[in-house]
Amino acid sequence: MSRNKSFASRGGTTAASLGLPAPISGDDMCPVCKTIRYLNKDMEFLINPECYHSMCSNCVNRLFNDGPNQCPYAGCHRTLRRKGFRSPFFGDLTVEREVDIRRRVAAVFNQHEDDFETLRDYNNYLQMVEDLTFGLVSGTEARRRDAEAQLQQWEAEHKIDIERNRKAGREADELSRRRIAAERDAARQRRIEAIKEAEEEKLERVRNREAELDTMADAPEGGAGGGAGAAGAGGQRVELKRRKQTNRAGETGAAAAGSGGGAGAGAGAGGAATTSDVGRLSIRGLKDKRRAPAPEGPYDPFGGMDFVPSRYKLHEGLSHPQIDKYRDRAHNTGGYSFEEYAARAMYEAFAGLAVFIEDEKEVGIGLSAGKVAGISAGMAAVGSDEMEID
Amino acid sequence: MEFNIDDLPILFPYPRIYPEQYAYMVDLKKTLDAGGNAVLEMPSGTGKTVTLLSLIVAYQMYYPEHRKLIYCSRTMSEIEKALVELKALMKFRTERLGYEEEFRGLGLTSRKNLCLHPSVKREKSGSVVDARCRSLTAGFVKEKKEKGENVDVCVYHDNLDNLEPHNLIPNGVWTFDGLLRYGEQHKQCPYFTARRMMQFCNVIIYSYHYLLDPKIAERVSKDLSKDCIVVFDEAHNIDNVCIESLSTDITEDSLRRATRGAQNLETKINEMRDSDQKKLQDEYEKLVEGLRGADEGRQEDAFMSNPTLPDDLLKEAVPGNIRRAEHFVAFLRRFIEYLKTRMKVRQVISETPPSFLAHLKEYTFIEKKPLRFCAERLTSLVRTLELTNIEDYQPLQEVATFATLVATYEKGFLLILEPYESDTAEVPNPVLHFTCLDAAIAIKPVFDRFRSVVITSGTISPLEMYPKMLGFVAAVQESYSMTLARRSFLPMIVTRGSDQASISTSFQVRNEPSVVRNYGSLLTEFARITPDGMVVFFPSYLYMESIISMWQGMGILDEVWKYKLILVETPDAQETSVALETYRTACCNGRGAVLLCVARGKVSEGIDFDHQYGRTVLCIGVPFQYTESRILKARLEFLRETYRIRENDFLSFDAMRHAAQCLGRVLRGKDDYGLMVLADRRFRAKRTQLPKWINQALLDSDTNLSTDMAVSNARRFLKGMAQPFRARDQEGISTWSMGDLRAHQAKMADEQIRELQEREGEREFGGGVGGKGAGGNGDAESDYDMDNDDEAELMALDGR
Ligand code: SF4
Ligand SMILES: [Zn+2]
Ligand SMILES: [Zn+2]
Repeated sequence: MSRNKSFASRGGTTAASLGLPAPISGDDMCPVCKTIRYLNKDMEFLINPECYHSMCSNCVNRLFNDGPNQCPYAGCHRTLRRKGFRSPFFGDLTVEREVDIRRRVAAVFNQHEDDFETLRDYNNYLQMVEDLTFGLVSGTEARRRDAEAQLQQWEAEHKIDIERNRKAGREADELSRRRIAAERDAARQRRIEAIKEAEEEKLERVRNREAELDTMADAPEGGAGGGAGAAGAGGQRVELKRRKQTNRAGETGAAAAGSGGGAGAGAGAGGAATTSDVGRLSIRGLKDKRRAPAPEGPYDPFGGMDFVPSRYKLHEGLSHPQIDKYRDRAHNTGGYSFEEYAARAMYEAFAGLAVFIEDEKEVGIGLSAGKVAGISAGMAAVGSDEMEID
Repeated sequence: MEFNIDDLPILFPYPRIYPEQYAYMVDLKKTLDAGGNAVLEMPSGTGKTVTLLSLIVAYQMYYPEHRKLIYCSRTMSEIEKALVELKALMKFRTERLGYEEEFRGLGLTSRKNLCLHPSVKREKSGSVVDARCRSLTAGFVKEKKEKGENVDVCVYHDNLDNLEPHNLIPNGVWTFDGLLRYGEQHKQCPYFTARRMMQFCNVIIYSYHYLLDPKIAERVSKDLSKDCIVVFDEAHNIDNVCIESLSTDITEDSLRRATRGAQNLETKINEMRDSDQKKLQDEYEKLVEGLRGADEGRQEDAFMSNPTLPDDLLKEAVPGNIRRAEHFVAFLRRFIEYLKTRMKVRQVISETPPSFLAHLKEYTFIEKKPLRFCAERLTSLVRTLELTNIEDYQPLQEVATFATLVATYEKGFLLILEPYESDTAEVPNPVLHFTCLDAAIAIKPVFDRFRSVVITSGTISPLEMYPKMLGFVAAVQESYSMTLARRSFLPMIVTRGSDQASISTSFQVRNEPSVVRNYGSLLTEFARITPDGMVVFFPSYLYMESIISMWQGMGILDEVWKYKLILVETPDAQETSVALETYRTACCNGRGAVLLCVARGKVSEGIDFDHQYGRTVLCIGVPFQYTESRILKARLEFLRETYRIRENDFLSFDAMRHAAQCLGRVLRGKDDYGLMVLADRRFRAKRTQLPKWINQALLDSDTNLSTDMAVSNARRFLKGMAQPFRARDQEGISTWSMGDLRAHQAKMADEQIRELQEREGEREFGGGVGGKGAGGNGDAESDYDMDNDDEAELMALDGR
């Protein structure tokens, strides 16, 4: 990995009008002391995010070791400090600066896709952020000030959400980092094992060959057959080992899949801003997280399915000679409810009415006829088995 | 001749048929009936193409579905050959049937081969031809022209619009030559004629890339329907084609040029903002709506191509932060700058896409999602800006394609950064390889889309390797043996020199003088006894060079020189073709020649040495791949982890398929004859990995020969071959007339009935069926085993 590039301070850049320097050409000569790389092989260039003027490390030490000093670039009057200097990540310093700004923006505008009602809202948000970033990076003086104000305002208003998202983001990063590392480790492990296995196999083969020779030596007559037998057995052993290896593949796959979820969980913030000053930001479509979630009702095992009959109505005091006999005491003692019984009788009577198999087939709800047939056939088969056992 | 397979009447344009051709047809029909994929290995020189075509055309014409055939081959010459065969077949059908069928067969190749524009066609490089053609034919160019602006257009292209779109060219089979001539006569562009007629063809013949390369496939092949029959011919290398089609290399230079491209884009955007703000706004709105532009329907003039993406993603709107043109360009620049920084690292890095993305995000705040849309967004922008000099944006597009791929696939790809060209190089020349490890990724859409895919070649053993590597299930897997009336080719494995010392090109011994001398004397001996042409294959250019110079020192080449002219293949295509020409002339006149070439070179893949052009092929050493390559190592590891194919198995398989290719070069028909000599002691253990038809002809007694034994064998064989051999001798054995075929069909029918009866019987007794095909697997596996030398060699390479 190439994370060896130091990338220290969070840029505290207040974007102000700077005549940005042209990217250092060939990065072979220090523009301050005019040393060329030829004379100093490991010359290193540093920049200070105050003004992004690059100079060699010698110059930096020379100029800033005794405390803050002015930037040596002609026309640049910024005061720089020694500890603000770092080596740039990008060759193109405009990009370096842009990324520093992005870091600030990203720290504030860190909403997730699932914080928004629709994808479109999210995309609009992304574009808004991008516009703002552009304003900071390359806007006119006025635009930049606006953008800066907007940024700060947003930050002030959504402190809690930002913090929460930041934390979630960190966790997600951590998680993915850990996952990548784990995968790498697992791969390394497997590699080692494969090598070991190959070695073993080779050893095995050598041993087999020796054994073969031995048997041949032992039994001069008819020895060949024995030898072949031994070799065969050896082969089988190798075979077994390979199968073992194959099984292992499945496990590792499952383990990797396990650590997937758990990112998400971002929170958003209020929609309409009430007061309006400098082109105050308002983002549409952000889910309103402030509204308390609807109180959870009691658990509904049927998931909202309604069992109120739609084709008939159950009236109190239903009476029919067939069922009236169940209304007596003898039936009710055990907690038996006559109403329950009546309801069920009606339900069964109406079940299946107004169900058209053709429709069901098209939509494909429930069991298809084929499946039902299959099941009953299966049950029949079970049944017959039992009978046989009997 | 005419005959039936089941109910299907087949017209076969020759009076006789080979038994293996018949078997091939039967299996092919089975595959088509059942729907499913097949892997078929048919000996070279037994008329595979015509067999395939006559069955499939018969199938097409007879059944009401009229399933279209997509026939893919590798090289332009193979495609042309297939077209000629098809043409002959259709002519025969017309004669037999007495009327001309409603049938259209077309081939497609690159613009470079089909262009008629007087100045464009003179360009040397294919991509320049493409780019120039696009700038003449793009939709907006035409609009401008209509508005009366003065722009260059191509008349050949514009004339097409005056024709009926589904009838640009009459029915019939059009070879490339024919197509060009027709185009010239009617002043219409052959390339676009073929492209646009693709949907209205019964048979399409083109190169693999039109189906496999996702960048091209999307545009050329998307209209083909699901029940098309797809055939990959000469498919023994298909996995490599798949992989190459998804891999990219990025260099410092390409990044520099990409930066320039991005800068140009920026200027263009600014220009357009001043002059024609509306176009940018239109594009922007379209992107907001998430519409794939309506004009994209006419994708043929699409400027750039996108790698395929999962469908769901394609329907999604482009992310908000790259919707605006200027945002997107800044995005690209950041990405390119990031890559530039990565290139500065001076150690080898190999990284998976997720880890690359994580690092990228940390340093540039580029998220995965916009990255995925990169290629598509760029295409859209280029179209909006109406850029004409597309070739300037090629590197930028490569970067965008890379971005899309790296963000789309987590598995099956690897990034490898190599700062130095070789281990000894002092000056860094970093290359970022984005390499695809999984051949199944590129070919998956093909298997998903089409019901029947047939993979076939002369040498595609072991058959089960291909379904494994390409991730599909084969309904039919068959390798045909070669029926011969006489033993017309003699494979031999030479393991020892004349001094009984074993010979091998394994790493430890390859430069030992005794081995080199033994190989030299093998060459001399065979040069002496071989009539006409002789081809020698070496495992690598490097080895070939070193052994040739050693032979030179030993005086071996002078010895060979007495019998034959010596010619050498070089990596330069031009030189090689001159050498080949000379070789051919020498074979037709006088003593003949020896061609020294490389088992993985151009010659081994595409050139046939039939009849006098090749009487002996001598394969010196097992042609293993160069294992030191990091990309290969990564692929091996991937194969092991994902498909449980062990490194050594794969290397051995790969070496043997190349060896088999080399051997197949000399035998191009049943009346042909030739010697096949495998000279390395390691071949002995690998013989089972040869294609069935070669392995069958290889006698056990011929697997462990010394040079002089092999030479005397060969002498005897050649003497036999010198006897007169009439076509009549083959009758009924290796060729069938109508009568023979009927007899065979009757016999098969009988057998089938018997089998059915038997099976009935078995079922009644409750006996187990099955178990038949299961055997043999066990020892097949151990066949891959390398012997110790191989391993030693691989390790030696590793440790270097
Ligand atoms: S349209 Fe056809 S003829 Fe014209 S430039 Fe393009 S390929 Fe050539
Ligand atoms: Zn300096
Ligand atoms: Zn400064």
